[in-house]
Amino acid sequence: MIQLLINTDPISEGYVILITGLLIVFSALVILALFFNYGLPVMLYIYKIITKGKDKKISEIKVKGDSGFTGEISAVIGASVHMYLSEQHDIESGILTIKQVKKTYSPWSSKIYGIQNRL
Amino acid sequence: MKKLIIIFSALSLLLFIRPVLGLGANINSETATSVTTAQVDLTEDESVLDGAFDGIKKFYSYTGFANSTSGNVIMIIIGIIFIYLGIKFDYEPLLLIPIGAGVILGNIPFVAGNQTGIYETGSVLNYLYFGVVKGIYPPLIFLGIGAMTDFSSLIANPKLMLLGGAAQIGVFATFLGALYLGFNLPEAGAIGIIGGADGPTAIFLSSKLANGINIMPDGTTVKNLIGPIAIAAYSYMALVPVIQPPLMRMLISKKDRKIKMKPPRAVTQKEKMIFPVVALILTTFISPSALPLLGMLFFGNLLKESGRTERLADTARTKLIDIVTILLGVTVGASTQADIFITKDSMLIFGLGAISFVIATCGGLLFAKFMNLFLKEGNKINPLIGAAGVSAVPDSARVVHTEGLKSDPSNYLLMHAMAPNVSGVIGSAIAAGIILSFLG
Repeated sequence: MIQLLINTDPISEGYVILITGLLIVFSALVILALFFNYGLPVMLYIYKIITKGKDKKISEIKVKGDSGFTGEISAVIGASVHMYLSEQHDIESGILTIKQVKKTYSPWSSKIYGIQNRL
Repeated sequence: MKKLIIIFSALSLLLFIRPVLGLGANINSETATSVTTAQVDLTEDESVLDGAFDGIKKFYSYTGFANSTSGNVIMIIIGIIFIYLGIKFDYEPLLLIPIGAGVILGNIPFVAGNQTGIYETGSVLNYLYFGVVKGIYPPLIFLGIGAMTDFSSLIANPKLMLLGGAAQIGVFATFLGALYLGFNLPEAGAIGIIGGADGPTAIFLSSKLANGINIMPDGTTVKNLIGPIAIAAYSYMALVPVIQPPLMRMLISKKDRKIKMKPPRAVTQKEKMIFPVVALILTTFISPSALPLLGMLFFGNLLKESGRTERLADTARTKLIDIVTILLGVTVGASTQADIFITKDSMLIFGLGAISFVIATCGGLLFAKFMNLFLKEGNKINPLIGAAGVSAVPDSARVVHTEGLKSDPSNYLLMHAMAPNVSGVIGSAIAAGIILSFLG
């Protein structure tokens, strides 16, 4: 490689790198694009077939016991949760007071030294 | 007492006049010393003041005023301009402000030999600069970028990946241009990567190829071009909103600019999880030299998409990348020390950088037009998004978006432009790997 680099003129070497480099970059991205266009759906499909019926975690919620549960009931529950979460004003105490701001005494900010007019 | 005040005021006047004259410091140094000797004559009879004056003179010789050269002053002004651009025009302020501050930091004149400067072994800045010289910071930045980036628009429309490849023509064209201008192969490779419009990649590659340490086959040492290349890459990245719109308007017709693209399909979480793993394996098998960059990029993305490591992803995309950006920005800025930075090479690199951005943008735009020839009506892409193929995430995508809005206020291209944008990052990292494997 070293011998090759010495012997070849940098410009022609540059052209070689230009063309091969561009080709490689393109081919890499083309392969990626092809994979995500065609390979990935196939993979996902195969995965789906393999795991069919085995996936215990995600199962339908049984509706047997909830025959009396109508959309109206769920709407009421939803509305009440919404009211509870968004209208929290009602919980606030109605007593309005002015908070007393008490500063701790500090000689640095004491007014008395300014009034007496002496240091 | 009066005399003391006079001497002091004379001295302070001298100190303040100095930087004004400092533009030609070497010429003015003689007149400056003659003035000081005149001052010494005045105070000859006061022996107590003499010692104090000697001290002051020594102190003065250590100050920046005494050591400043025209180069330092110019670079400090450039640093201030960077900060100004970042604040006033909001051009990538996260980069330009640290770099601008770094430029000022690196160009404060000092007396060599006290372990102050960034190029002096043992100085604090030198230790921080280590991460740049050894290419440590760029992969860490890529980790954060990976944890930030949403690849779903790319997964939804994989053919847009080609646009990211097309823009890499800027890299190789600049490489060739640099060769014609007389740079040797490794240097030209490092300069070429400016066209990738990716700061971390540019720093990574230049730290491997043009680091001032490597020895060429014919026995010469390569030049240290990390500073100029990084500054050129980052400043042109910041100037993307200035460089790209005129090219877009020039190359893409009004009718094409109004093309509306189909909204990308919804991408499942499974696909998003598979993407980083597969892309990591495929790209690094093709270009193993880019492993530090691509590996970290996809690793960061996996952290984000796996759904189990939100904590790690969160750190990578906020705290970690912030810390590294601060260190990288300041040290890259400081590496522009005037005596090393202001050379003919740097000017050439800046020129080549501008050309490479233009070529890369044109490459992306034209390739998008070319792709449109093969696409069916209704499935066509808006050629503007080709410009986002130069990485510069996410600035170029934003530029495409605003440019699209200008010609049709209801055409939102941001989502589509992100696809070539992120594939541009991948493409430029692969290109860096290829150049590294050819020339490293």
